[in-house]
Amino acid sequence: MNVMGIIFANDATMGDLTSKRTMASLPFGGRYRQIDFHLSNMACAGIRHIGIISRHNYQSLMNHVGDAEEWGLELGEGGLEFLTPYAMSTTDRYRGKLENLYSAMDFLEYGSDDEYVVMADSAILSSMDLNDVLAAHVESGKDITVVTKSGIANGEKQLDLALKLDAKGEILDMAVDYAAPADYLASMDTFVLSKSFLKHQIKELVARDRFHMDRDLVMGLWQKGFATVNVYQFGGIALFNESVEEYFVNSLALTNPLVRGDLFHFHHPVFTKVRDRVPSYYGENCEIENCIVADGCMLDGQAKNSVLFRQVTICEGAEVENCVIMNDTVVGENCLLEYVILDKNVTVRPGSKLIGTPQTPIIIKRGETV
Amino acid sequence: MYFQKKRCIAMLLAGGQGSRLKVLTEKTAKPAVPFGGKYRIIDFPLSNCVNSGIDTVGILTQYQPLELNEYIGNGQPWGLNKTHSRAQVLPPYERYDKKSGWYKGTANAIYQNIDFIDRYDPNYVVILSGDHIYKMDYAAMVAYHEKNNASCTIAVRNVPLSEASRFGILNTNPDNSIYEFEEKPKQPKSTNASMGIYVFNWPVLREALIADEEDSASSNDFGKNIIPRLLNAGHKMMAYPFDGYWKDVGTIDSLWEANMELLGKEPEFNIRGDERSKIYARNSALPSSYIDQSAVISNSFVAEGSEVYGTVRHSVISIGCIIGKDALVEDSVVMPGVFIAPGAIVRHAILGENSRIERNAVVGGAYGPQDKKKISVTSKGAVVAENTVLAPGDML
Repeated sequence: MNVMGIIFANDATMGDLTSKRTMASLPFGGRYRQIDFHLSNMACAGIRHIGIISRHNYQSLMNHVGDAEEWGLELGEGGLEFLTPYAMSTTDRYRGKLENLYSAMDFLEYGSDDEYVVMADSAILSSMDLNDVLAAHVESGKDITVVTKSGIANGEKQLDLALKLDAKGEILDMAVDYAAPADYLASMDTFVLSKSFLKHQIKELVARDRFHMDRDLVMGLWQKGFATVNVYQFGGIALFNESVEEYFVNSLALTNPLVRGDLFHFHHPVFTKVRDRVPSYYGENCEIENCIVADGCMLDGQAKNSVLFRQVTICEGAEVENCVIMNDTVVGENCLLEYVILDKNVTVRPGSKLIGTPQTPIIIKRGETV
Repeated sequence: MYFQKKRCIAMLLAGGQGSRLKVLTEKTAKPAVPFGGKYRIIDFPLSNCVNSGIDTVGILTQYQPLELNEYIGNGQPWGLNKTHSRAQVLPPYERYDKKSGWYKGTANAIYQNIDFIDRYDPNYVVILSGDHIYKMDYAAMVAYHEKNNASCTIAVRNVPLSEASRFGILNTNPDNSIYEFEEKPKQPKSTNASMGIYVFNWPVLREALIADEEDSASSNDFGKNIIPRLLNAGHKMMAYPFDGYWKDVGTIDSLWEANMELLGKEPEFNIRGDERSKIYARNSALPSSYIDQSAVISNSFVAEGSEVYGTVRHSVISIGCIIGKDALVEDSVVMPGVFIAPGAIVRHAILGENSRIERNAVVGGAYGPQDKKKISVTSKGAVVAENTVLAPGDML
């Protein structure tokens, strides 16, 4: 099966954490960027022709992905392409993903052998067997497959696209930007379509000023009877990182062995950019409890229920609890940090005290000294 | 096909068996033995090459090459996979005139690959071995060689006089030029030990290799034959003093020691270093490590993909290991993929890759700081069964 992949990098919703980067390049889990999960899903499924759609702030993303050697995508037909506004015929005002796809029509035309398209969005992380999704799509004979997850809808969380099925698995209802009740399935913003169908519908919809993927392509066509929709229910762990609060909770969820075991398993590795850091060093008096620790750290203080990214230094006497601490950050001696997200390259001066709350963790911006 | 001319290339002797590492090299060539949590011994000379601006490295393999070949692959981890840079594995081969076969000695290994070196028409060839842990700027050594207008330059380090008879000793004039070479002398005249790192003018070495091959009495070895041959022929040979950390990890004890010397606030060998002296290794795409609530870790390295639930003191835990709850690991080197079950005790040990220490098993023993330590060793994939003991100094 010839399949191309499209990953949407933007639609940033994380305030200071995404003011200078895409959602795709948001660091996650100690050594990853969000896009690593999507690139790895596609690489593991043998998808070799991938376009990354990014509208702005994509410098850190390009730096991270590079020539995609780490994902084994640097060689062969197609390879990986950045579809930036310069590469697409862009308009000033962004009206939706379909407009991006319309602008990237050259890319869709290019891989002429590709029969299907898998589209994913950077905010929702999982280790998913895309070949299984593709097989289910083909078997269903439907026009669009929506990958969904149960247990996400709770009556409060606003879902991009929510679907309700009847007992036989037929779709009863679809809703967009909707705080759906718990019996709805949440779309994981991952879709499978045939390329010819997608190209045709993009042209038709954009010609009528319709640019919204969920509202116009999926729900709109389904409601009008112009498209049949297959619902794929994903059984694994799906982390919806759509707000700072969710990002924070999901980061700490990696300390749960069930979450870790599902996201990282032997036959479905998650690849990332190699940094060649030394193993982490645990000093004579350090106390590290229930933490995710990446490589290159120097740990002399205390850390509890936290995620420590690459090359983090925690000096003696410092106490860190319920924190997400990104790359190359130094927490000085005798600091006290609770419910804090430190972005990359932050320095916390000795003796500082930063206390946030689970709902609104304190965020220290990249490169700052506090 | 065209090959860009190179000023300097390196040839890395990686074919040795390393029989003194015993069970650790039963199925693996010595250069592929894991070190320091995420590295293999060969990462050190290879990274030194890259950090010294040497972008073409021939790697001579012979003994149990599968794992080593797989590890080197296309040289990508070291950036040696580009248009004008490469890591080329050079196994022994059968030649049309039958003048080849297994590598008979270190010099013969290079002799059999004269064609490979000739492609690059290099001015200098650096000869390295895959047995040592150190960081060194070979470019500085080549510059020294060039400045002294030498035919051959040999890196040397000062060793205690009492140990000098274990090494190849170079006796030098005040200007560091070499007038005599003695292989393992009973009465050493100096303490300048050869580190087995050579820079040669390629035309000089090429000629010496051909002459050496014609001498049926020769054992085709650099130390025993090539160096004395060049000295006798009156070539200018220089000693290049090196005083940084350098460790031959050819024995169980020295491999254990070298790992322990990475530890501490101010370690004897600081593997961390700066960007210019980074050690590169093949990446295994493992997630971050997980340190459980019940874990206690002090003065230790823990590499990616490991999960620690027990107690770890003064040890190196490599990638992808699991240290179970209430397990104790002390003064030990735990190689990649090892599983230590809850309640097991491991002290003064080297646990080979993917070995398993089952529940309540005991490996090795405790020693005072001054005691002579006996290191227990498990081979790759070995299993120490539940409630059993692997005594101090024993191997499985």
